Amino acid sequence: MSDASHSDARILEVRDVKKRFGGLQALSGATLDVVPGSITALIGPNGAGKTTLFHVITGFYKPDEGEIAFLGDSIAGNPPHRIARKGLVRTFQLTKALTRMSVLENVMLAAPAQPGEQLAGVLFRPLATRKREQEVEERAMELLRLVRLDRLADEYAGTLSGGQRKLLEFARALMVEPRMIMLDEPMAGVNPSLGLQLLDHMRLAQEERGVTFLLIEHDMEVVMTVSERVIVMNEGHVIADGPPEIVRNDQRVIDAYLGTHREEAV
Amino acid sequence: MTDPGFWIFVGVVAGIFAIFALGLQIQLGFTGLLNFGHVAFMAIGAYTMAILVVRTEMSIWLAGLIAIVVSMAFGLLIGLPTLRLRDDYLAITTIAFGEMVRYFALNLQGLTGGPQGTINLAGSGRAVSYNGEWVQFQRRVQGWLESLLGDTFLGEYINPNFTMMVIVWIVVIALILFLQRTVNSPYGRVLRSIREDEDAASALGKNVFSYKLQALAIGAAIGALAGLFYAWQFSFFSPIDFLPLQTFFAYVIVLLGGLARNWAVPVGAIIFAVIFAGTRFLNFWPLTEFDSGERAYLRLIIVGLILILLMAFRPQGIFGRRQEMALE
Repeated sequence: MSDASHSDARILEVRDVKKRFGGLQALSGATLDVVPGSITALIGPNGAGKTTLFHVITGFYKPDEGEIAFLGDSIAGNPPHRIARKGLVRTFQLTKALTRMSVLENVMLAAPAQPGEQLAGVLFRPLATRKREQEVEERAMELLRLVRLDRLADEYAGTLSGGQRKLLEFARALMVEPRMIMLDEPMAGVNPSLGLQLLDHMRLAQEERGVTFLLIEHDMEVVMTVSERVIVMNEGHVIADGPPEIVRNDQRVIDAYLGTHREEAV
Repeated sequence: MTDPGFWIFVGVVAGIFAIFALGLQIQLGFTGLLNFGHVAFMAIGAYTMAILVVRTEMSIWLAGLIAIVVSMAFGLLIGLPTLRLRDDYLAITTIAFGEMVRYFALNLQGLTGGPQGTINLAGSGRAVSYNGEWVQFQRRVQGWLESLLGDTFLGEYINPNFTMMVIVWIVVIALILFLQRTVNSPYGRVLRSIREDEDAASALGKNVFSYKLQALAIGAAIGALAGLFYAWQFSFFSPIDFLPLQTFFAYVIVLLGGLARNWAVPVGAIIFAVIFAGTRFLNFWPLTEFDSGERAYLRLIIVGLILILLMAFRPQGIFGRRQEMALE
């Protein structure tokens, strides 16, 4: 299906990924590609398998079947930390703020290449550790200013509101210096003005740093304005894929959504 | 109650328990690992050292070092299968592990001396001791202390227990300085992030499993160190010294002072040791209605009550911040 000549046009390739939980086939052969430097939205009715697919891509679940490649290397079944270090970072639908650590520490934690994260580095490379720590702190403050959490840098992350936590997670993801960020409902529970900021930051990271984004989002207006491409999932696989205006009028997509709505209305 | 010799002994016990609890602090307080079998590492440390000294006539220093390494190896052994699982599995496994170590010590008579303890290490009827070299060392330190402090008001108190107290507390302080440096580094930041949310840590590229193993091994090493001092202080010991209760004493100490605070551990240990030893002075009515053996158990009840009251009214411990307990 995929030949080597095409893979440089894709940062992420997912082929026929399947995942079953007991009697539930959560993913039934999901296949998708993500183009480098793009902002792609992943949408679909509740239970379509979007978050499961995120878990499988980022190593939190092992796929039963199928192939996943990031930057041309297979990552299927790799542990999450290895995938993150390769440059593929995710956020969570329910934010995971490290509540009893400061906001600044939350962001600094995400920094790569800190020799002081190894015990040997702490003990035998104190200078290199301190030097890197200064850079990390500067960069972390810069990111916190970007998401306007800099005034809260020394507060416990547990004191942040839901929306602020989404912003914190976003800053933390950028701190990893990733090639690609996967955002699971970044706008859910975020007030509209914060949400607009977040979208601006996303575009900025895309333009200035060439970061690729794949986001799960339910707000159709957001999806239609921010993303260059929309992938639609239903019942564990991809049913449509293309520019927003085309996907929007795709009959399968309309059916998937209307079907859900009709059931909900009963 | 005014006998200084008694309080010096309390100081020794507090110091040994402070070391022991520092090992738990790094696991529980900083990394969030529920180790309910911490006493096993103390037992492994004490027994490995004693056995090596008696069997191979090894120096106590080398034997002590090997004992610490062996304890760390057991920490890894217990962590490898369980640390990938949920927290509560580690808790269950470590309880079982602690008891297994004690039962092995009890029943492997040829190796450990069995229920009578290390006095039987070379087989029954041949009483042996492992701490001759330690006693010599302690005498030398005592000599230094006498020449240093002999003319001061402390001079009259200098005895083997006083010397032990000084040695143990120097170790406590050195250990705290080492741990402070460790936990206040980026390394410690990763440990704390695992305590807070290990999925977040791994999503940010941290090898959670490896860090948990390291924390378990560091705590095991420190637990073994406490075991060494325990062995050297009491010249002989037996499996009954390593009941699960000891682990819970370490929990009381850590929780008394406050989680994730190294300097709080010695304070917790001193309070614990004073309460624990001080209950022998509960010799007034109506407590005199109980005989002394029954009163000895009262201290366990009191320690338990303190833990309950602490959890109810000051769950953050003496030095903790209440705010931390409310954050979600």
